[in-house]
Amino acid sequence: MNGERFPVEPKVAEKSVLIKNMIRDLNPDGLQEDFEIPTPNVRANVMNKVLEWCTHHKDTAFSEDDDDDARRASPVDEWDKNFLKVDQEMLYEIITAANYLNIRPLLDSGCKVVAEMIRNKSPVELRRVFNIVNDFTPEEELALKKENEWAEDR
Amino acid sequence: MDLNLRDCHTGTPDYDQILELATSHHAFPSVPVSSSRARLVNQTNGEIVVVPLPRQLLLNPQEETHTTTTSSSSCLCPPPVTPPSPSDTLRMPVVASSSSSSRASHSDIQRSSTPHFSTSLKKEESDSIKIPVVAATTIPRPDGTFVPLGPGDNVGSSSSGMSTVSTALSSPAVTATNSTKVLNNGAAVLKHSREATPSREGTPLLHTSCATTPTTAILVVTPFLVKHIGDQTQIPKDNFHEYCYRHNPDITCNKLVDEQKLKELQHQLEKLPSRDQEAISHVWSIFSAAPRQHRTLILQGLLTQCCFPQLLFISQEVSVLIRIDFISILPVEIALKILCYLDCRSLCMAAQVSKKWKSLADDDRVWHHMCEQHIDRKCPNCGWGLPLMHMKRNRDVTTLEPKKRAASDVGESSRPRIEELDQDLPNIKRVKLDAEATVVAPTAAVVRRKRPWKEVYSERFMLEKNWRKGFFKVRMFRGHSDGVTCLQFNRKYLVTGSYDTSIKIWRVDTGECIRTLTGHTKGVRSLAFDSQKLITGGLDLTIKVWNYHTGQCISTYRGHDDAVVSVDFHNKTIVSGSADKTVKVWHVDSRTCYTLRGHLDWVNCVKIHPPSSTVFLASDDTTIRMWDLKSNRCLRVFGGMDKEGHIGQVQCVIPFTYKDEMIEDHNDSDSESASNTAESNAFERAEDNVNHINHNNNNNGNMHGNNRDDARQNVTNLGEESTTSEENTSSEDVNQCELSLDVQYPTHLLTCSLDNTIKLWDVRTGRCIRTQFGHIEGVWSISADTFRIISGAHDRLIKVWDLQDGKCLHTFSNDSSISCVGLSDSRFAAGLENGDVKMYCFDEEC
Repeated sequence: MNGERFPVEPKVAEKSVLIKNMIRDLNPDGLQEDFEIPTPNVRANVMNKVLEWCTHHKDTAFSEDDDDDARRASPVDEWDKNFLKVDQEMLYEIITAANYLNIRPLLDSGCKVVAEMIRNKSPVELRRVFNIVNDFTPEEELALKKENEWAEDR
Repeated sequence: MDLNLRDCHTGTPDYDQILELATSHHAFPSVPVSSSRARLVNQTNGEIVVVPLPRQLLLNPQEETHTTTTSSSSCLCPPPVTPPSPSDTLRMPVVASSSSSSRASHSDIQRSSTPHFSTSLKKEESDSIKIPVVAATTIPRPDGTFVPLGPGDNVGSSSSGMSTVSTALSSPAVTATNSTKVLNNGAAVLKHSREATPSREGTPLLHTSCATTPTTAILVVTPFLVKHIGDQTQIPKDNFHEYCYRHNPDITCNKLVDEQKLKELQHQLEKLPSRDQEAISHVWSIFSAAPRQHRTLILQGLLTQCCFPQLLFISQEVSVLIRIDFISILPVEIALKILCYLDCRSLCMAAQVSKKWKSLADDDRVWHHMCEQHIDRKCPNCGWGLPLMHMKRNRDVTTLEPKKRAASDVGESSRPRIEELDQDLPNIKRVKLDAEATVVAPTAAVVRRKRPWKEVYSERFMLEKNWRKGFFKVRMFRGHSDGVTCLQFNRKYLVTGSYDTSIKIWRVDTGECIRTLTGHTKGVRSLAFDSQKLITGGLDLTIKVWNYHTGQCISTYRGHDDAVVSVDFHNKTIVSGSADKTVKVWHVDSRTCYTLRGHLDWVNCVKIHPPSSTVFLASDDTTIRMWDLKSNRCLRVFGGMDKEGHIGQVQCVIPFTYKDEMIEDHNDSDSESASNTAESNAFERAEDNVNHINHNNNNNGNMHGNNRDDARQNVTNLGEESTTSEENTSSEDVNQCELSLDVQYPTHLLTCSLDNTIKLWDVRTGRCIRTQFGHIEGVWSISADTFRIISGAHDRLIKVWDLQDGKCLHTFSNDSSISCVGLSDSRFAAGLENGDVKMYCFDEEC
């Protein structure tokens, strides 16, 4: 969208299922020559970051199966964790880009990182971490506290 | 706010001074003026006026040190001067919490703009096209409080008289172009038109109410505003790209924060003298109208002036402002995906954050996922598993659909829980789907209340918590005059058998004995029941079938030569184990009876595993055998002396299927023992066949002494049995054969023995993979479900074990030894040697 071009190996680009399918659909006989893929929904700086991830993981074999459990249980890859130590807006953009480009392992990692930011935090802490205003009345707040009490202290 | 106010204080005199000079309207306290800092320019009446700046206003000594630092480093960008606003109500930059689109505000612009304004629009439009548009993300923003002036705001305010903000940029303006180039080094920079957010009615506006002279500033401010507002004619095509997180009108979640901040600011502002209010608001207006390059410059200028505490303040404020409310702004499916990674406690806390968070954290999809993760399985992430509680569900269902009851009732009985779970699971799934379907198609005649999945989860969670923490209530069932030998219960009934020869039916909820069945002439040793019938085995060598609702004995099966110490049934097949060392399989429909031989001592326990049509036998000879009911072949022998099996009489066996990983004992000589077991199995199997044939003849002889029914059955048996044994002899190598993968054999066995241990076996390999120690005398009975093992022993202890890791969770002592135990999702019962039955209820408030 910034008109920048990012020359990449097909192997790297194909981490994105969207791009992979696009290449396959438009070049049924295989990739013969340079092929330009517009990614209108990704900013250049984010694209850069996403491609950094793809390049790093170009040889990583991610499980293709839909065994959600296994993917859920696995902790965030150490490299990914460091890779995603970015400001919140960038993290947000990476997640949306991974979603748009359909790069599931990256989306997973991004979501897990956000989940870790939420985990085990009190409502007050959560509001602080995400800069959220409490829009409940004190009565509502009290009722909610009671309603959710059961999960405490396990 | 402090910073701003402080800044205002230091700056105010300047404005006042200027205003005084320019308009002579108000009398202000005279302030010492430093001519060395006379840099501010005010365009009044079309003339450029150089205004001498006052020295900093001395508020207190501390302030002075600050300001001294400031002045020494702030030559670049002196504070702007704001002339009075032309209108009574000075509109201040507003953070739009609006969802109004930029297009709308653009039309506002057009409508409200002056002719003068619109002419310049055209020019600016063409100009602005040349400006490379870069992403809006990383532009350094002002503290966010005032800046978020939307295009609409600018215009709105300009049309309402705000257009008179003067551009007080003089000398810095020259450097502006240069420095912006440096600052904007290709990084994402906000295009001016997009920095601003549209205003909306109802948004709190900061305004000053001082009366001012409209004319003074018009000529100064208007050009600036007009010039820069012109940029706004470029309407963003796509909010995702054109706006930053803060100013995207589609993102509303963050606006609330700004709204609060604005209120606070308004409040602070109102405390100031009107002149000050106006001056400050002008600073903000100028900033908000400034294009991105200018903004960067202004900010840099401000930053260089800041003293350290102010920088700290900025840093703190900014660190808050650059936070993103992921859950609210991400697409719903991603937000839910994130929430699905959380545990229930975190989810419950997330539900208390805000309304938006609540709606997502309480979402049925999240909790359905939680239920899938935890119900009837141990979650690999958190180690928690929650009971199915299908008894409860059945109750709910049965009240509404009485006809379907029979089918679900089979699953209600507690004793063979673990086997049944296998069969029940698909059922559960179906019911779950049904529940959802009801909502989609409410045309169904049965109105089934669809409970939120969170409620489903919390109910089970609280039960599991009680199990873990050991919170329970005990209910006593007293009435037997001799030791209780066997028991089984479901939601409604508890059935107990005793050495006192009677069987008692108890109501679980009240503890009252509603029926006593008599008929056995000696002690009752074993029982099994479903929704219709009860089958008991006694020391009087008989098996009796009862209608326990009426108390009537339907039939009596004779055939064993010694006490019947174990019974089990499935559909129309009854299996009985006896002190005569044999097991008989009674096919009630075809009135045939097979005798399974091989054990060298009493058969204490028989369990049918219906999915694989196999039966498991536990014997005093320390082994456990697995037979195929279809072919009447022995498929496996587990343990035995010297074969890492039990070294005492095996009292109980439970076959079950467990798909996740079991924690196994660490065994150094794994490979060695494996081969041993295989060999021993082969050996045992050979023995089986021999026994089988030998006993066959004896058996036939004995059978004639029994009643006619049985005799007839025996006749039929004869031919069958000989074929069976033939098969066995002809396939000795089958002993070591792999179990067919097509048959749903159980994966594991649990056994308990008078050697004080509980063992876990791998059915496929025939090996013992775990031994649980803890009881100090023989274990008479165990019961298990997906999560727990309950064991009752001669040492008067009841122990609760974790099924997966084999760790002992609780130990309950009693005043008599335990001869039998039963387990359900929420309770367990123990029959004592003194005749009492105790039920531990974990589902009641404690």
